[in-house]
Amino acid sequence: MVIYSFYIFDRHTECIYSKIWLPPTPNPPPPPPPSTNTPTLAPPAAAHDGTAPLPPAAPSRTGTHVDRRSVSAKAGDDAKLIFGTVFSLRNMVRKLGGEDDAFINYRTAQYKLHYYETASNLRFVMLTDTATLSMRSVLHQIYINLWVEFVVKNPLSPVEHKGGVGVKNELFELGLDQFVRGLM
Amino acid sequence: MAASKASRLGEEYETPKAAPPPAPVRPRLTLDFPRDRIWKTRIEKVNAELVVLTYGTIVAQLCKDFDSDYVEVNKQLDKMGYNIGLRLIEDYLAKSNTMRRCSNFRETAEMVAKVGFKIFLNITPTITNWTSDSKQFSLVFDENPFADFVELPDDNRAQDELWYSNILCGVLRGALEMVQMQVEAHFISDVLRGNDTTEMRVSLIRYIDDELPPEDD
Amino acid sequence: MSHLAAGKTAGAKEAAGLRYPSNGKTIYHRPLNRTKTAELSQSSFAYLFSEMVTYAQRRVTGIQELEKRLNLQGHPIGLKLLDLLLIREPARSQTRPLNIISLLHFIKINIWQHLFGRQADRLEKSSNPDTPDEYMIVDNEPLVNAYVSVPREMSQLNCAAFVAGIIEGVCDGAAFPARVTAHSVGGKEEGEMWPGKTVFLVKFQPEVLEREALIGRA
Repeated sequence: MVIYSFYIFDRHTECIYSKIWLPPTPNPPPPPPPSTNTPTLAPPAAAHDGTAPLPPAAPSRTGTHVDRRSVSAKAGDDAKLIFGTVFSLRNMVRKLGGEDDAFINYRTAQYKLHYYETASNLRFVMLTDTATLSMRSVLHQIYINLWVEFVVKNPLSPVEHKGGVGVKNELFELGLDQFVRGLM
Repeated sequence: MAASKASRLGEEYETPKAAPPPAPVRPRLTLDFPRDRIWKTRIEKVNAELVVLTYGTIVAQLCKDFDSDYVEVNKQLDKMGYNIGLRLIEDYLAKSNTMRRCSNFRETAEMVAKVGFKIFLNITPTITNWTSDSKQFSLVFDENPFADFVELPDDNRAQDELWYSNILCGVLRGALEMVQMQVEAHFISDVLRGNDTTEMRVSLIRYIDDELPPEDD
Repeated sequence: MSHLAAGKTAGAKEAAGLRYPSNGKTIYHRPLNRTKTAELSQSSFAYLFSEMVTYAQRRVTGIQELEKRLNLQGHPIGLKLLDLLLIREPARSQTRPLNIISLLHFIKINIWQHLFGRQADRLEKSSNPDTPDEYMIVDNEPLVNAYVSVPREMSQLNCAAFVAGIIEGVCDGAAFPARVTAHSVGGKEEGEMWPGKTVFLVKFQPEVLEREALIGRA
């Protein structure tokens, strides 16, 4: 199982948290062919020049100088595109299958996107390799054991997280990282 | 101490393994989730009086800060409750394992009274006095833990102006807003004011639409 | 008294005095021990505490002031708990603690057990000869901090200042006036095992030590 990245979107459709895990092996999956119908949804773990894609402000491992601004701009664009995709899919699924229907994941040639939405319109998204089985219960556990415990109940974290404020606290981040690394 | 702590945490998290990595072991964070089984979250409990006294000190502080302007205190309590509601709904959804929205407002009332109040205050207020359009109901509180040690100040005003448990109105408003219902809630009677019942009136204003992402341009 | 008067003449509103429900739902009719062992959700406490901290933050400028405010909010709880817990003791042990050690034991055992379901982890006396008035109550994992993740820029903050206020209230109520402050010590020694470890530093007023010395001689 390889987990590429993880996003949380709030009810205001804003991306309030994102995290990218570098692949543990030196062979990142190949970039998606430009012909796929969702080319911009490439797993962030694949960049075209072969450098490992990096979370904003992380140092480059390959020594290639990476423009920080463009990396973080790309990450921001990815998040927007991902939201647009899951939001449209979710709405279409509801139109077809009724209000209670929900889409769980979709798969491209290159990656699998897992989706979990709470009744409060908090949306959790995880990108993995294509062989990974359903991550729905994993996302659910992140919600109830990490989000609720360390973000929602933290008195020093605001109730709304505009710009991601209050999500990136030590307990949440550490818990998430340990949890996800434990799965891989 | 360590042993009792381990057994306490054992309900939720596995205790640290025998040979931990060199990194510091942080008991709360050694999260070793069982992967396949859905978490059955138990409700962790604390002594009721800790909660009740904490609420009391919050109300007392507000009365002090606003010079016993009880109308303002009501407002502040409602605001605090609203903030709590925004948070608490996530906990409610996680604990009750709710995925589905209520299909109508009557179902919502049932969930609020029988699940919500049960989880957080261990009481089940009675639902009554529905309007014929099913948009307004009352919650009648036979029990109200917040009021347990309380007598309002004998200043000829508090019993007419202060709604001691007003935080609960805000909680309902905030929590239901998060699941896309705009409601209005207020108390219409309180045993602390000398009434025979404690009753809260809840009205559905409207259902809120999904927010859409901003247009790209 | 006044609740008897209230039922007397319906309609004739008393000039002063409180109204009471006719069905006897008043604090005078409720057994004081009814909620002695009652439990509520820990989340409910967490949310109330959150709002207390948030509200306090809006009205202060610095961390010290914030802790002071949390302390003030805990103080009346301590005063009340002292009476409440003593009255629940068997008749012969109902007297308030009369020396520093029994007071601190009362806090470490009775108060902690009641509020947090377990005793405090340790009690220590300052080993510094310059500060014989200082005692320490240690809690490895304060319940009030269970969900608190302090951002780096506020690393001085310990929200258990609220509990320090409760302790201070107990001390003041028992006529052992003291200043109590909460300090995080999670970074040191055993700190790795207990990241939230907190020391409550109890500093008694000079007159408390004077009195203690007099009693000791008698």
